[in-house]
Amino acid sequence: MSTELFFVQLINGLQYGLLLFLIASGLTLVFGVMGILNLAHGSMYMVGAYLAWYFVAITGSFTAAAILSAVVALGLGILIERVLIQRLYNRNHLDQVLLTIGMIFVFNSLQSILWGNDPYGVAVPEALSGSVPFTDNSSYPVYRIFAALICIAIAAALYFVVSKTRLGMLIRAGESNREMVEALGVNIKSLYTIVFAIGVMLAAISGIIAAPMRSIVPGMGESVLITCFVVVVIGGMGSIKGAFVGALLVGIVSTFAAVLMPTMSNMIIYIFMILVLLVKPQGLFAK
Amino acid sequence: MIFEKRTERIFLAIFFLIALCIPLFLEDNSFFVGKITTILILAVFVMSLDFLVGRVGLVTLGHALFYGLGGYLFVIITPEYEAVNFWIYAVYVMGISALIALVIGAVVLRTSGIYFIMITLAISQMAYYFFFDSLAFGGGDGLFIFMKPETSIFGLSFLNLDNPTHFYYLALLAVLITLLVIKIILRSRFGRIIEASRLNPERTEALGYNIFAFRLISYIIGSTLAAYAGLLFALQYGYVNPQFMTWEMSGTALVMSILGGLGTIYGAILGTITYEGLQYLFEHMSEDWMLFMGGAIILMVLLLRKGLAGYLEKLLEK
Repeated sequence: MSTELFFVQLINGLQYGLLLFLIASGLTLVFGVMGILNLAHGSMYMVGAYLAWYFVAITGSFTAAAILSAVVALGLGILIERVLIQRLYNRNHLDQVLLTIGMIFVFNSLQSILWGNDPYGVAVPEALSGSVPFTDNSSYPVYRIFAALICIAIAAALYFVVSKTRLGMLIRAGESNREMVEALGVNIKSLYTIVFAIGVMLAAISGIIAAPMRSIVPGMGESVLITCFVVVVIGGMGSIKGAFVGALLVGIVSTFAAVLMPTMSNMIIYIFMILVLLVKPQGLFAK
Repeated sequence: MIFEKRTERIFLAIFFLIALCIPLFLEDNSFFVGKITTILILAVFVMSLDFLVGRVGLVTLGHALFYGLGGYLFVIITPEYEAVNFWIYAVYVMGISALIALVIGAVVLRTSGIYFIMITLAISQMAYYFFFDSLAFGGGDGLFIFMKPETSIFGLSFLNLDNPTHFYYLALLAVLITLLVIKIILRSRFGRIIEASRLNPERTEALGYNIFAFRLISYIIGSTLAAYAGLLFALQYGYVNPQFMTWEMSGTALVMSILGGLGTIYGAILGTITYEGLQYLFEHMSEDWMLFMGGAIILMVLLLRKGLAGYLEKLLEK
C-alpha cells in the first residue's frame, strides 16, 4: 500500500468513523440516561435521509432542507417519547426491545407508503461540490471534509452541553441516580423527553449529512443500526467518549479491511468487537 | 405433573388435539399443511429461545446462528447423491452443534447483560458473513439438499419425508419432544438451580454452585434444539442459505417469545402461531402489511404485561 493510498484510506476511515459517532451518540445517550435500548434508532437515521431528500426536492436548498428535517425529527422524537416510550419506563428491557422492533416495522412501512421503494440520491450542495487536491494526481471531495467537520462540531457541542451546562448536569445526574434527581424537584419526565428527542434528532442529522454521500434506500436504517451497536459496545454502553473512540476505531478498521482483505471485510468489525470484549468485557470506557 | 398451570394444560390439550387432526381436514391442500409445518418448526426454535431468555436469563440476539447451522451442517456432512438415514444424521448434526455451542458458549458467557446480547449478535453476524462470502458453501444462494433422507428405524420405515403430511407429523413430534425436554429439565434439580441463578446469581454462587457451568450446559441444550429446528426447516424446503441466520431471524423469534409470554415455554407456541397467523392475515389484506404488523406488536406490548400467556392465565386462573 502506497503512502498516498494509506492517507486517503485513513481520511476515509476517519470521516466514516465521525459519521458513525454521530449516529451512535444518540443511541448511547438514550441508553445511558434512560436505560432504553432503542432498536428503532437506525430507522431515525433513515427518516433523516428521506426527509432531507424530500425537502431538497421541495425547497431546492440543502440548507433549508437540513434545518426542516432536523426540526421535524425533533418533533417526531418528542411525539414517540410521549406517546409510546413513556409507557414502558416501569417495564423490563425486553418489552422496550419489542416496542422498538414494532416501531422499525411501522417506519419501514411508512417509508415505502410515503416515498416508494426506489433508491434516491441527494445532489451535493453546489458550494461544496468541488474537491481539494490532495497530491499531484489525487483529490478529496469537499463535501466529505465538510461532513467530517460538521460531525466534529456536533461532537464538541455535545461534549459542551453534557459537561458544562445545567441540562448536561441534570443528564449526568439522571444517569447515576434517577430517584435522587426526582427527589430534588427536577421533572425527570420532561428531562427524559428532551434526551430522547435529542437522540432521535442526532440520528436524523446523521441521515441528513449522509444523504449526499450515500444512496437513500429502504433498509438503510437496519444495516447502520448493527454497526452502531458494535461502536457503542466497543466504547462501553452509555459512554459518549467511548462512542467517539469506538466509532473512529470501527471506521478506520472497516475501511482498511475493505482494501486489504475484501473477502473478510464484513466480518472484521465483529471479530474486532469480540476481541475488545474478551479483554474488557464492559467495553473500553465502561462506567 | 410437569405442566403446573391449569391454563397451560388447557392450552396444550387444545393445541395438540387440533394439531393432530389438521392434516385430516387439509388432506388435499398440501400448501396449508406445509405452511403449518413451518409454523411448528418455528415453534420449536422459539421454545428453545424462550428457555434461554426467559428461564436461564441469557438474552441472546444470535440464536438464529444455530438455526442456520442445523441446515448447513446437514448438507455439509451428507454425501450429495445418497439418501442417508435421517435419525442418525440428525444425531450427528445435533452433536456437532452441541460442540460448537460449547466453544461459543465458553466465550460469550464471560459477558453478561447488554454485552451478552451484543456479543451473541456479533458472533451470529460473523457466521452470517462467513457463509455469505464463502464460495465453498454457496455464498448468498446457500446449499441445496438433493436427496431427502430416509427415516427407517431397525429396517422399519413409516415416515416418508417427501409426503407433506408425514413431514407435518415429524414437526409436531419435534414440538412435543422439545416441550417435554424443556419442561422436564425445568422440573429437575438442574432446572431449579438454573432458575435460582437467574433470580439471584450471587446467592446461588454463594451456595456453592458453579453457575457458569449450569449456564453453559443450558446454552448448549437450547442451541442444540435450535439446530434441530433448523435442520427440519432446511429439509422441508430442500435448501439452506445465510438468510437462516440473519439477526432479523433471531429478533423475530425473540418477538414471538415475548409476545407469547416470556419464560412460559407453552407461550412460545402461542406467540409463534399468533405472529405467523397475523402476518399471513395482513399480507393477504394489504401490501403494507408491515404497518399493521408493527402496529399490532406495539399495541400488544402496551396492553399485555405478560404476553398472551399472561393474559390467558388472568382469564383462566382464579
